[in-house]
This record gives sequence, C-alpha cells and structure tokens, in this order.
Amino acid sequence: MFQKILIANRGEIAVRVLRACRALGVDAAVVYSEADRDSLAVRLADEAICIGPADAKRSYLSAPAVISAAVVTGCDAIHPGYGFLSEDETFAEVVRAHGLTFIGPPPQILDRFASKEATRRLLGGYGLPTIPGSNGMIRDELHALEEAERIGYPIVIKPSAGGGGKGMRMVRSGRELEASIKVCRSEAKAAFGDDSLYLEKWLDDTRHVEVQVAVDRFGNGVHLGERDCSVQRRHQKILEEAPTPALSPAARSDLADRAIRAVVAAGYENVGTLEFLVDRDGDAHFIEINCRIQVEHPVTEMLTGIDLVATQIRIAAGEPLGFGQADIEVRGHAIEMRINAEDVDHDFRPSAGVVESYLAPGGPGVRMDSHLFSGYEVPPFYDSLLGKLIVWGRDRESAIGRARAALDELVVDGMVTNVPIHKALLRNDVFLEGRMTTNLLDRVGSAAFVAAAERR
Amino acid sequence: MPDDERSPAERLVDHAAIDTLANELIPALMAKLGASGLGEIEVREGTWKVRLRRPADGTIAAHPGGRRVGERGRGAAGGAALGSGGAAARSVLTPVGPGRQAAGPDDGDERATGSAGEALADEGGGGRDPFRAIATSPAVGFYQPRPGIVPGSRVRTGDPIGAVDVLGVPTEVVAPADGVVGASLVEPGESVEYGQELIWVELLSSAPATDVPIEP
Repeated sequence: MFQKILIANRGEIAVRVLRACRALGVDAAVVYSEADRDSLAVRLADEAICIGPADAKRSYLSAPAVISAAVVTGCDAIHPGYGFLSEDETFAEVVRAHGLTFIGPPPQILDRFASKEATRRLLGGYGLPTIPGSNGMIRDELHALEEAERIGYPIVIKPSAGGGGKGMRMVRSGRELEASIKVCRSEAKAAFGDDSLYLEKWLDDTRHVEVQVAVDRFGNGVHLGERDCSVQRRHQKILEEAPTPALSPAARSDLADRAIRAVVAAGYENVGTLEFLVDRDGDAHFIEINCRIQVEHPVTEMLTGIDLVATQIRIAAGEPLGFGQADIEVRGHAIEMRINAEDVDHDFRPSAGVVESYLAPGGPGVRMDSHLFSGYEVPPFYDSLLGKLIVWGRDRESAIGRARAALDELVVDGMVTNVPIHKALLRNDVFLEGRMTTNLLDRVGSAAFVAAAERR
Repeated sequence: MPDDERSPAERLVDHAAIDTLANELIPALMAKLGASGLGEIEVREGTWKVRLRRPADGTIAAHPGGRRVGERGRGAAGGAALGSGGAAARSVLTPVGPGRQAAGPDDGDERATGSAGEALADEGGGGRDPFRAIATSPAVGFYQPRPGIVPGSRVRTGDPIGAVDVLGVPTEVVAPADGVVGASLVEPGESVEYGQELIWVELLSSAPATDVPIEP
C-alpha cells in the first residue's frame, strides 16, 4: 500500500477520496487553489498544500504543480478524482516518470482507451454490441458524408477526446452535417485541445445505462452491476439510479457479464465504467468507457457495500481484488441526486455565493456526499456541483419515498440550487413509472418540466 | 496644513474641525484601524487630513478574521460608516493596493490607503507593514535564494531574488518592491507552497512606498 496519497482535486470528490484514504489507514495530503483555501477538504485534511491561483489551468489542471506538490509533500501516489487530470494519459505518464503512481489505469492502458472511436472497435472485437459509426476519425467533409450515408441518418457528430456534450451535434441530413463539422471541430478544440471527430448512429428515445467494473493487475475482474443515468439535461447527468428500470434482471446480468468479459480480454485495469445506450427495443449499444471514478459511483456503493474509491486505490497499489463475482450481492435500489448551484428559473445559470446555512438530511439509507458547510463560500471558478444526495431503499418505490423526504430535509440557504428539478422528477409520471429516456427534460425544456410538476 | 494668513472665520472653521477630529473622528478611526487589519487610514475633510498608521510591528490589534497565512485582503473589503455628524457621516473605506487607483466612490472624504505590501504582505496576525514588503512563492517546489542576494542587497521591483524549483525547472521569485533584502522566512532548499511568504524586502524610503496622495 502507498505511504501517502496526494489528492489532486477539489469539492466533494476530494472529501470522498480523503475518507477512503482514512478508511484504508493511508496518509493523505490535499492540494488546493487560492480560491479553495477554506474548503472542507482542506479543513479535514491533516496536510494541505496550495498549488496555484483560482484559475484551474494554473492549479488543478497544471501537471507540474500537482506533481511538484506530490514531491514536496512526500507522497508516492496521486489520486486525480474525476475531471481535471483524471483521464489525461500524458499526465499519468509524467506521474510515473517521477516515480509516483497514478491512481487509475496505468498510462499505457489509459492510452489504449484514449480514443473513443478506437475503443468502440476494440471492445466490439471482444463481443460488446457497439453502436454503428464511422470507421476511424472523419478526415474531411467528403469522408464524413460518405460515412454518414453508409451509417444512415440521423447521425451524431462526436469529439474523440470529449465528454459532457461539448462539441456534439445531432444532424439529420448531409446539409446539416456539412454545416456542423466546423463548429464541432472548434468546440472540441477549445474544450479538449483535440479536434478529431467521429460519427455515430443517432438513436431516438434512448436510455443511458452504464456498467461498473473493477479489474486488478492480475486480470481478476468483476462487474458491480449497472446504473441508469437517463435523467439528463443537455447531456449532463442529473439523477442516477440502480438497478435500471429499463432492463429485465436477465438482460441486466447479460449486459454486465459481456462488459466485464470484454474489458478483461482487452487488458483493462482498475475501476472503470462502460457506457451504453439502450434503444426502444431494449438492445444495448456500447458508446464509451470512463477510466476513472465517476460522480455517480455512490449508487453502486449503496447497492453492493463495496467502497469503490478504496478498491481503486488498492488496485493501483498492486493488490489483488480480494473478492470475486460470487461475493458481490446487489441489494435493493439506490438513487443519487446531483445538487448543483444552478438556477432552474434562469436556464440553469450557475450561481456562486455564501452558503449561509447547510443541513444535510439523514435517516436510514440516506447519504450526503458534499463539501458544503454553513458559512462556506462557493467560488465561481469551478463546476456547479454542491453535493450528491444518495438514498437507498429495499425497492424503487421506497427509495423514491426516501428521496422525497431527504430532499425536503436538505437546507442550503443562501444559494440557488437545482433542488426544484429533483422535486419535479420525483412527481413526474414518466420517471415514477421508470420509462424515462435521455430526452425527458430537454424535450419539453427543464423550466416547463418543473412548472408542470408544480401545477399538479 | 492651513497657513498663518487665515481669517478669523477660517480659524473658527478650523477649530471646529479640530474638535470634530479629536472628539469623534480619531477615536472612530482608531477603532476602525484596529478592527480592519489595514496598515493605514487617511481621512481628509476640507483642507485637513489625518492619517493613522499601524506601528511596524503591528501591535495595535490582530485582525480578528485572520485564519491562515496568505488570506489577503479579506479584512479590508467592504465599506464602513465612520463617526457621526458633519461630512464624516458619509464615508466609505476603500482599500487601495499598490499601483492601483482607489476603486471606491470618488466623492468619499475618507480613504484608507494600503501599505506597500498590501497585496503581498500580510503578517500572521493580518497586520500590513508599511515599511517592508514580502516576496511570495510563484509555485510549489523547493526554494533557493539567488546567489549574491543576501540581507542588505539593494533590489528593485521585479528583480529576481531567488527561485522555486518545480520538478527541476526554476521559477523566478522577484522583488515585490524597491528596497533592501531583509530576513528570509525559509531556508535554502526548503519546500514551499504557492503563495508562501519567502523573503522580506525593506522599503527604501523612510515613508511608505505608497504614501502618495490620492486625489479625489
């Protein structure tokens, strides 16, 4: 096991990783930018080190600053959390070059899975159903048009390096395709520093279902079931749950089995998530793999009782997984609601300010992963996630009941939050019946969705 | 200051002003200076001005909000009404950083001027030092003073006085003001974090470097 881990992130995930380190009995140091001097992670940590100004490019995204902080604090491993440097294979390589361990897949494995398009073909070769798409990156407009004709419209243009919906466009014709390529390239270049694009078949009314896997250095792999992340707003996940209401128990088990077999065969290592789109016929199509801990990992932790962050750290330290598929029991139903500093009434505009009063909900099966405290000033420089409210129940109905009660208990005074969207979801028939697709909110507009729920 | 050719009417006005200053304004300013963490407060009213300056060792009062080294500027933020009666009732305290014009309303009669090191220096207790400035670390790494830079070396603003080694790449530490290199707060080779206070620079002039009248 590591001597000391540098936590190279902020917000709730820095607190989460710190807790995993403590549970494992490993020392930890937390990095922070000048804007996060008074953050909860800094307050809780035994050791904290300022690595730069508020601008993430000069702090949390600066590989030299982060690695130098690890050297200065005497850490032998770096946990990147999610976002920032977590999937940057160059960063992972430089970390290793300095004699440190990147907590995640080793650099050569990150590199193997860096291109979404290549990963789709790789895992398709190991038996995963994949979504029809272009063969490789699109070279130019003519190539794009030829590939689109072969796949069939509608088509979605996707950046190879991306995530979170940036640089993505759905097009229904060759004319729209031609008009969109340039915009997508510039968006992808700005967001990810890489403008390579590929095409994928667009499926209407899909569900987003993902499978959590963990594979150790010795090729022992398990899946930890799936999560349904269909509730999204403009490609941003808002609420996640498991098990998915979209698939039968047999279909869920089949999908998870195929996922773990494919990634083990492809040589994946550490925790990871395989994302699928499930179409109207219930057929799953692999879209991409996320080689990091995910925001919604607590959903799986609630169902399995397995600490995914601790597992990630143990695997990176070279330990065997220590449990097999038969040891994993998925119990009950869990729902995670992302509490964001967003103004539902104003197009989900991000907000910043002082949390005058904060009270986390409690009771059986209720977990709040958050970096808030009363008096905390939410800096305007980073993402809007304030915390994650996770509930567990014996079945979906009781989980929904606990979700409603917990939301009513949550106090975040002084900030505008997206709690109204969650309250609306928990009263929405489509959601309550488990029939939601990724366009549930965007089809009517989130503001109209909330207003409709309030009229009931 | 008023000269000797004052008319009796002007003298009356001046005496009234002195009374106001002595009885109301100065006690209020002392309290404000003690509570604010500012290095200096200057008030002007008509042709008069009064300046209160915190002693160099910062003994008036500790900044009550001071929590950690490097929490700069917090205590100086915001406006505050001072005293009572007369023009003094309408007032705004405006922190003024080096090389920066007052950001507050131009018609304010009272201003607080930051010390030379306002944006740079902040002793543990939060007091700002009008006689010296401090160079802070530009990066996380290991500090090395520049060869030849010793206590007593004369430096100008922007002169390299040391370096922080970041994974083998030196990042320059520069003098925050014209002055004389003073005490170092870290040893050569010691690890430092971003923004950490490294080395004092004693300001050259006897007056604080920003003791420049700010014209309304």
